[in-house]
Amino acid sequence: MTDFNEIKDSLVSLDDQRLLHLVNDALGKKIPASDILNKGLIAGIDIVGEKMENEDMFIPEVLMAAQIMAKGVEILKPLLGDDETSARGRVVIGTVKGDLHDIGKNLVAMMMESAGLAVHNLGVDIAPEEFVAQIKEKNANILCLSALLTTTMPMMKQTIDAVVESGLRDQVKIMIGGAPVTQVFADDIGADAFASDAGSAAKAAKILAN
Amino acid sequence: MYLMGLQGGQYSPLSEDQVKTLHEASLQILEKTGITYELGIEDTVQMLENNGAVIDRDRKNITFPRKMIIEQVAKAPEEVILYGQDPKNDLHLTQSRVHMGTGGAAIKIIDSETGRIRPTTLKDLYDVSRLVDQLDNIHFLVKPCIATDIDVENYNVNWFYTCLSATSKHVMSGVNDIKGLNDVIEMASMIAGGLDKLQERPFISTIACFAISPLKLCTQSTLIMQEANRNHIPVALSSAPMAGSTSPLTMAGTLTQLHAEQLAGITICQLTKAGAPILYGGIPGMANLKTMGYSGGAVECGMMNAAIHQLSNHIKVPNYNSSGLSDSKLPDAQAGYEKALTSLLASMGGSNYIHHSAGMLESMLTIAHEQFVIDDEIIGNCCKVLKGIDCDAEHLALDVIDSVGPGGNFMTTPHTMTHMREEYYNGNGVTDRKSREKWEQEGSLDTRQRALAIAKKLLANPKPAYIPEEIDKAIRKKFNILL
Repeated sequence: MTDFNEIKDSLVSLDDQRLLHLVNDALGKKIPASDILNKGLIAGIDIVGEKMENEDMFIPEVLMAAQIMAKGVEILKPLLGDDETSARGRVVIGTVKGDLHDIGKNLVAMMMESAGLAVHNLGVDIAPEEFVAQIKEKNANILCLSALLTTTMPMMKQTIDAVVESGLRDQVKIMIGGAPVTQVFADDIGADAFASDAGSAAKAAKILAN
Repeated sequence: MYLMGLQGGQYSPLSEDQVKTLHEASLQILEKTGITYELGIEDTVQMLENNGAVIDRDRKNITFPRKMIIEQVAKAPEEVILYGQDPKNDLHLTQSRVHMGTGGAAIKIIDSETGRIRPTTLKDLYDVSRLVDQLDNIHFLVKPCIATDIDVENYNVNWFYTCLSATSKHVMSGVNDIKGLNDVIEMASMIAGGLDKLQERPFISTIACFAISPLKLCTQSTLIMQEANRNHIPVALSSAPMAGSTSPLTMAGTLTQLHAEQLAGITICQLTKAGAPILYGGIPGMANLKTMGYSGGAVECGMMNAAIHQLSNHIKVPNYNSSGLSDSKLPDAQAGYEKALTSLLASMGGSNYIHHSAGMLESMLTIAHEQFVIDDEIIGNCCKVLKGIDCDAEHLALDVIDSVGPGGNFMTTPHTMTHMREEYYNGNGVTDRKSREKWEQEGSLDTRQRALAIAKKLLANPKPAYIPEEIDKAIRKKFNILL
């Protein structure tokens, strides 16, 4: 196999049987697991992310792609070296205090995981001090804050302020997102990045992590 | 032209059999699947257990015998009256009587001077509340925007104060917590002349998003809902699943799950206080599967909001729901047709208290002065449809036909004079039906420009003083009023 188009294609067309067959087949041909991961699966999920941004794929299809990819990664994991599995980005993600919405945030977490980042998903209704504690504990370099409610958006600023006070601000890049959130708001409250959908969030996180 | 509280029900997307099927399915969900909860509402859970619910505390799951649901739901009032500070604005919510007004918690406004988008302020809330006060077809005021220029701890009292000082129509809004609700009740009691007077004529009410779809109780909002019950303040039991993400993709599945959530919520309220005034608050919505955002302007939202009234009507509880949302970013043709379609369907379905139906753009994120004027016109048209066609002898006009005779005309008959201001919808002035020449002379203005001019005129009118001066002083002494 000189290119990984078939693996990419099976992922984009959500054909899990074919993908698993192709991954095993490639391993049989002594193709390095890290190549299968990076040039096949991650390259494939990048296409999915693009299709999602262009609204060519429905989100449920994107989720399905992420699940299929995870099955492929499962096969490869024992064959990958430590340095290949240790992610460049260590993400702490959660919905801010007072807000109980998690679907969009989980979608972002899933896309980031698929993009090869280590994601610690804290859940919903997370207080600023909890975010700070988790950044320390997970040695995170990216913090992602989510809010769906217009009434909880101010909590994003309070969370960022708490990170600044804790002295950890230089260690993490902060990304924010959620239906009412905008680039202008991100600039106002001192976030490093804003993303309007899960695909571009994963892309932005990869750039910030490097 | 008085177009409030007219009887809807002309459009029934569900047959009687389908209503029964869905209702039965909802009871089955509560009996078999149940609902879940989080820590913090142990008392509520205990109350449910004492009254027949089965609690699995390990799984945090509550299932309800159908008998329990049916008994408790029967205690909810068939009519809820939401009062205005001025009695002419009282809303009698019952049967399929339709009322339409504002809703939402937008954070952006299209500035009426610059045309640019900017964050909403307390002053914006005051201005749009004054527009609502003066636009006849908008029957009530649900706080349409957040004041982003004030701190969270000042939200609740300032929202209600601002709305109540700008309109004598009924004012409804969610609150952040129990303290927020109690502060608002205290302030409204000062205006009413005592808590008992407020409870007698509650001119404020609240919204509790008690359910996080699918089938989960929100601790904070459930507690707020019960506090409203105990204080005899009407509360809308909001739950708003989106088909495809927080409820099944299909419309029937979404309606059934939503109805189950409502039955559970109503049961909690009626056990908290039998006869507590509540509104069935099922708001069926749709996920945009390309973004997982909310597709407020979809025609199916109109269909489902009509259907959900059929389900609330089946259990004889007046309902609160949505129409008139648009996914458009500005008051354009898309906004016009999405709003007209969903509002017409929801009103013809007979929904009792349809919020979101004026002022909103970009789903629930943006408001615009001109949009309130345009939506007032859309609501007026919708309500006119509900009025139907009178066919009594006077309206049949056989005598008039005979007296005018073949070949004559009807322009100056007394019959025309009697009916010409009533038989057809006259509008608020935004609709253009002039000749092209006249229209060009007046500046070739489009709908949006005409609506802006009307809004400007309304805001130039003298400001009302609904809160008497000495009460206003007392309120400002007690609370941190920022308006």
